[in-house]
Amino acid sequence: MGLKPDRMSRDERMVALLKRQPLDRIPVFGFLLGFPAVNVGYAIADMYSDPQKAFDAMQWTTDQYGFQDIPWVSWSPRAEVEMPTGEYSQAPIVSRYPVTTEEEAWRLEMTVKREDGRATMKCAKLVEAAGGSFIDFPVATFTYAAGFCGVERLCRWAVRRPELAHRLLGLATRAGVQRVRHWVDTFGPERLLPFTAEPTASNQIISPKQFQEFVLPYIKELHEQMLSMGIKHILCHICGEQNLNLPYWAQVPMGDPGIVSFGHEVDIDVASRYFPDDIIMGNVEPAVIQTGRPEQVYELTRMCIEKGRKHPGGFMLAPGCELPPKSPPYNVWTMIKAVSDFGWYD
Amino acid sequence: MISGERTREILKGLHDAVVSFDEDRAAQLSQSALNEGVDPYIAVVDGLADGMREVGDLYERKVYFVPELLLCGDALYAGLNILRPAIVASGREARVRGSLVIGVMEGDIHDIGKNLVKVMFEAAGWTIHDLGRDVKPERFVEELARTNSEIVALSTLMTTSMLGMPKVIGMIRDQTPRVRIMVGGAPLNRDVAVKYGADGYADNASGAVAEATRLVEALRQH
Repeated sequence: MGLKPDRMSRDERMVALLKRQPLDRIPVFGFLLGFPAVNVGYAIADMYSDPQKAFDAMQWTTDQYGFQDIPWVSWSPRAEVEMPTGEYSQAPIVSRYPVTTEEEAWRLEMTVKREDGRATMKCAKLVEAAGGSFIDFPVATFTYAAGFCGVERLCRWAVRRPELAHRLLGLATRAGVQRVRHWVDTFGPERLLPFTAEPTASNQIISPKQFQEFVLPYIKELHEQMLSMGIKHILCHICGEQNLNLPYWAQVPMGDPGIVSFGHEVDIDVASRYFPDDIIMGNVEPAVIQTGRPEQVYELTRMCIEKGRKHPGGFMLAPGCELPPKSPPYNVWTMIKAVSDFGWYD
Repeated sequence: MISGERTREILKGLHDAVVSFDEDRAAQLSQSALNEGVDPYIAVVDGLADGMREVGDLYERKVYFVPELLLCGDALYAGLNILRPAIVASGREARVRGSLVIGVMEGDIHDIGKNLVKVMFEAAGWTIHDLGRDVKPERFVEELARTNSEIVALSTLMTTSMLGMPKVIGMIRDQTPRVRIMVGGAPLNRDVAVKYGADGYADNASGAVAEATRLVEALRQH
């Protein structure tokens, strides 16, 4: 029942993965947001508000499971939010959007301030102080714009008031670029591994045509700007059902190489065809990790490994989205066990 | 007396207004229907709701997505807001397909899916009792008791919030055993629905109406 001993440290493995060098085994990204808090006995809200607790919980959990995740505070919201405190809460929720009318949308201006005092940056400084090779931070465009006004309003405006939707997307993108610049100024570009995610752009919400008009130009610009600042790699989570968007995503530069993460809705073989030169990450179904039996998790993980290891650009196993915070620890360990049984490169 | 041809013209206009998400046109034609003597119940069922059925089909065929569905729903409601009071005022008993309590699970505020399901049920002639989002378990039980509804639909997008479903289902079974329970939302599937003790599951808004109809018909046969 034991695990085979690793022959590389987690740090060595991540560096080698990004340099396209040989690895001992398939790396595993835990997609950790709330799980570390539950794992070590903290509140999930701590992962979004307390940089020291977030850092510690991430460090201990990645040490325990061998995950490649970099400690981070994934979202340090500016809007009015409620922190997750209830038994069934998973993440902060926006309690009031800054934009509720067209007039407010036309008037909205973004002033991006330096983020030194914010939990995201404070946690990143703890990572830097600990000598971490990579620093992770979140940034988005379409999903960020939806955070101004709510998804439903943005959807309606995309059809009824496209110029207004474009205005919000332009603001979100410019704000994103400015934020990245602050992070580059603070840490230098070499260590930064920005995390972009666009769950709101999935085909569970918008059409591929809407993606082409309202997502592609903005996410492409954001990625291009980040790479032009000297950032080498972007971790891009193509969240949810995005099969119809893949031809457009393939036009977005991800870095050399980028890490492109997929939900369970996108087959790894399909992802591999669209991103032959990038590292593919994914895609064990999170709900199965949470509610399935260990043997289901083991088999799903084995299948992911078998597909992923064929990908020429490199592969990192991960849940298809956030590891559910209340996943049974045995199921999480079972993923690692499957990697130990099937994930070695020699 | 309105001619059959004009009636058909108005009904088709209502249908098309919903499909083309033309809110103003839906409202204008609903008013015309009343002014010209079209039975408001027929205007809803064979006009607006018929349009919404096509919208559901377009959604399933991935021609329409959430933005279009939301706007079609707006057009539907623009018409319903005019026609429904007339149905009530006429004293005519509209044929109600069933009564549904719906809400998003505690801890979750993602309600687009729930809202789309609600629109499809409205169009199909169901009475809806919408509890909104972040709904505490006991609220479902209270609302079922208050409304004597036959179906309850629980929605969630979040894996953590879905963990509350077995508890809610258990409470409902204890308090109102004749109710049939449906679940839906991105992290769910039919296996999980069964595991949680639900009676029904649907992976999209149109499917939810079909599933609820099946459940309610089976319930009424007992």
